[in-house]
Amino acid sequence: MKAILRWGAPLLMTVGLLAAVPAAMAQTDHEKQLYEAAKKEGGQITWYSGVLNQQICDDVGKAFSAKYPGLSVHTIKTTSQVAFQRLLQDLKAGDALSDIFTTTDESHMAYLVSKDLLLHYVPENEKGFSKVLRGIDPKGYYHVSWVGIVALIYNKNKVSAADAPKDWPDLTNAKWKNQIGFGSPNYSGLIGVWSVGMEQRYKWDFFEKLNKLNPLIGRSVDDPITTLNSGERMVAPGNPASAFRSAARGNPLAVNYPTSGTLFDPSPSAILKGSHHPNTAKLFMEFLAGPEYSKILAKNFEQPLRDDVPPPPGAKSLSDMKAFTVKLPDIEKELPKVKEKWRDTFGM
Amino acid sequence: MSTAPSPPVQGAALRQGRLGRLRRFEPATLIWLLAAAALLFLVATPLVRLLISSLQTTDSGTFTLGNYASAYGRLRNLEALGNSLLYALEVTIMSAAMAVPIAWGVSRTDMPAKGLIRALILGAFITPPYLGAIGWILLAGPNAGWLNRIFMAVTGSHTGFIDVYSFGVLSLVTALYAFPYIFVFTSDALDRVSSEMEEAANILGAGSFYTIFRITLPLVTPAILGGAIVVFLDTVALFGTPAVIALPARIRIMTLELWQYFEFPVRAEVAAAYAIPLIGITLALFWAQRAILGRKSYVALTGKGGSRTLTPLGRWRWLVLGYALLVVSLAVIFPYAALAKAAFSKAWGLGFTLGNITLDNFERLLSEEGARDTIVHSFTYSAAAGCVAVALALLVAYVVNRRLMPGGNLLTLLCMAPLVIPGIVLGIGFYAAFAAPPVALYGTAAILILGYSTRFLPIAYVNCAASLQSLNPEMEEAVRILGGSRLRAISRVIVPVLKKSLLGTWLLVFIPATRELSTAIFLVGAKTRVISVMMLDLSENGSFEILAALGFFLLGATILIVLLGYKIIGRDFMLRRS
Repeated sequence: MKAILRWGAPLLMTVGLLAAVPAAMAQTDHEKQLYEAAKKEGGQITWYSGVLNQQICDDVGKAFSAKYPGLSVHTIKTTSQVAFQRLLQDLKAGDALSDIFTTTDESHMAYLVSKDLLLHYVPENEKGFSKVLRGIDPKGYYHVSWVGIVALIYNKNKVSAADAPKDWPDLTNAKWKNQIGFGSPNYSGLIGVWSVGMEQRYKWDFFEKLNKLNPLIGRSVDDPITTLNSGERMVAPGNPASAFRSAARGNPLAVNYPTSGTLFDPSPSAILKGSHHPNTAKLFMEFLAGPEYSKILAKNFEQPLRDDVPPPPGAKSLSDMKAFTVKLPDIEKELPKVKEKWRDTFGM
Repeated sequence: MSTAPSPPVQGAALRQGRLGRLRRFEPATLIWLLAAAALLFLVATPLVRLLISSLQTTDSGTFTLGNYASAYGRLRNLEALGNSLLYALEVTIMSAAMAVPIAWGVSRTDMPAKGLIRALILGAFITPPYLGAIGWILLAGPNAGWLNRIFMAVTGSHTGFIDVYSFGVLSLVTALYAFPYIFVFTSDALDRVSSEMEEAANILGAGSFYTIFRITLPLVTPAILGGAIVVFLDTVALFGTPAVIALPARIRIMTLELWQYFEFPVRAEVAAAYAIPLIGITLALFWAQRAILGRKSYVALTGKGGSRTLTPLGRWRWLVLGYALLVVSLAVIFPYAALAKAAFSKAWGLGFTLGNITLDNFERLLSEEGARDTIVHSFTYSAAAGCVAVALALLVAYVVNRRLMPGGNLLTLLCMAPLVIPGIVLGIGFYAAFAAPPVALYGTAAILILGYSTRFLPIAYVNCAASLQSLNPEMEEAVRILGGSRLRAISRVIVPVLKKSLLGTWLLVFIPATRELSTAIFLVGAKTRVISVMMLDLSENGSFEILAALGFFLLGATILIVLLGYKIIGRDFMLRRS
């Protein structure tokens, strides 16, 4: 009896684990079909990523290989601008060297669609996305793989929670003179969308007021992470993911989701028409839309794409943060004007 | 000389002449031709690709001059170009003011602690511009900069005394990481100047200062000018420091304006059109250099050998050392002290407390397999690029300097062109030329090595050209008279005589290659990742602690490599009298 107990318990646990693993890695029928077809394609795809960072992209590739043994992903993580230029050069030379392209700039996708360079594919798993992320491309060529978010970030060693800005207009308060910083729409796509969003809500006057506070203007949405930590500035519109990541190390950063709504900008992925591994690529698109990928995002303090994956500790889900965005046609129409006004106001 | 016009001759004599020339054909000639072909392949192909794309419309690729109109038809872009030229000029002057006195101190005087100064200067050089600029923001930020806080605490003032976000400090910070170019060029050249002429001046009654300014420095003008040209071109194309300092300071700089063409709406063709005419700057500097150097001779080293004695400075040597220490403190010691706060803490926003100090950042950096591979890639690719660039530059400089082939000016321009083209534009050219078939080097280490070699070829070329100008051809002629070939003259005379200078040149290619980002990001593949791209990742990720730790690691590794390099290469042969 004792022997049964001694051996039985671990055995049961092992059996339980074995049962649990496939449950976590469950494949739908559609995924199984794609997997079978993918195995015949040589097994390896190349992913040009303009989002996340190399290490997270590599983790995504490893998780994909773990779920689909025999298949693997080569990631080339650069910036969206570089990834797009490399892609254009590949196509110009007559061969799509990559299978999947992910960019922070939706207009890259619009261009590729207009030139008929993308493979039409709608991942089944997209049904599990948070509502605001479903079907960003009505034609179904490209799909969200990352969301850039702009919320309010502050240095909590210098600013108390009570004093911290709660909503966008609070940023224009005179008490932030010389203490505010942000990126520029001329160098960051996400700040570009944010500036269009702010102009739509508060008119250009919002930026005129900000300019009177002598803001420190950098390039990227993440520049404030450095300037807030160094104490050079106290408050900033910035990306919560970077702030949470830095705060998790112990840095004094805190996030307020603006009460009137938080801006988000979907970064899409698509399959290249010239892909030599279309089934593997489709399967990877399913993977990017599935729960495993969103869990990797949450683990790295990024916003998960699905409602069935909880956001990272301290963060809000997309529906809780009253997420709003600016649609591509509005961006394409307004952004050039906003950039010009920005140069007039801020001089850069 | 072979370029001398030949007198009119009869047919037979002409044939004989041709035959004779054929008989005198050396296998070395083939090598000159190969070097020229390599140059065409490495430099001309990507540039021609860029030129073509600058003349095409974005959508259909039909011929247009519209890109040039867009790029140069805007007052804003012209203003930015003007600012860039002014910025480059300031940086060049400041760099020379830092580099030349220290080079003189290290090479020609009995100043103490020379090895340390040399190693720290090259340490400054490996600091990625982005990291150096952040270090200076930590020092001279108007609100929280250390220097300003100390100043405010001491004087009770409410404002600091230095603002990093200003044109002057932008130039200073850039110069602090660019002056090593002029330093290495000048100190190598000074090492080759024999003391005989200085002694002659002294015997004729010239004072020390008169001798320095009328004898010693004029002899190394080609090296100082060469270094200055490299600094100027490099600064025109620089993106890292302006992005961190000029943008918040609201100073329009050409490389920053260029970036807008890669944001929506993307028009890389306009970027190419904006960048291509910059080659004209190279050409203008090249002419200016000729005008300054004129027809004077800068031969410092002759077949008679020569030796140099170190000028004893007495108490003044502490003044020279003090100046050198001031410069390396500004470039390395102060900014790295500020960065240490990040590199050695768990959370750098918390400041110095005992519980916050850690070595984890270093451990994470070196224990991660991917990071280790990345560091090894960067070092090996850069080392290989250093060898390729030095070999090619030495051959071409030799051919041009000794007038072995027609078209020397064109070869020089080709060698000099890649430095001034901003990396993001040149990167597209490299990618177009080398990644796709027929060359098809996509994803290989070779494409990065070629990219680095080409990008930094100008540095190697300038130094090789200046070195050869200081060498009297009589030594090679002696080899030739005794029946040796040109190649033998190069391998047995020039390389040994210039070995220290060649090592310096190699370092000047190796170091910038390890920190090069904007072309590397176009050329990396999944298995050929390099440090600079990893640094960009870390900076975008907000992982400033690990980024700073990586900076410290690079600084330490460079100092070791430099000390080891000079140890291996051995004693300076001209110092035998001391």
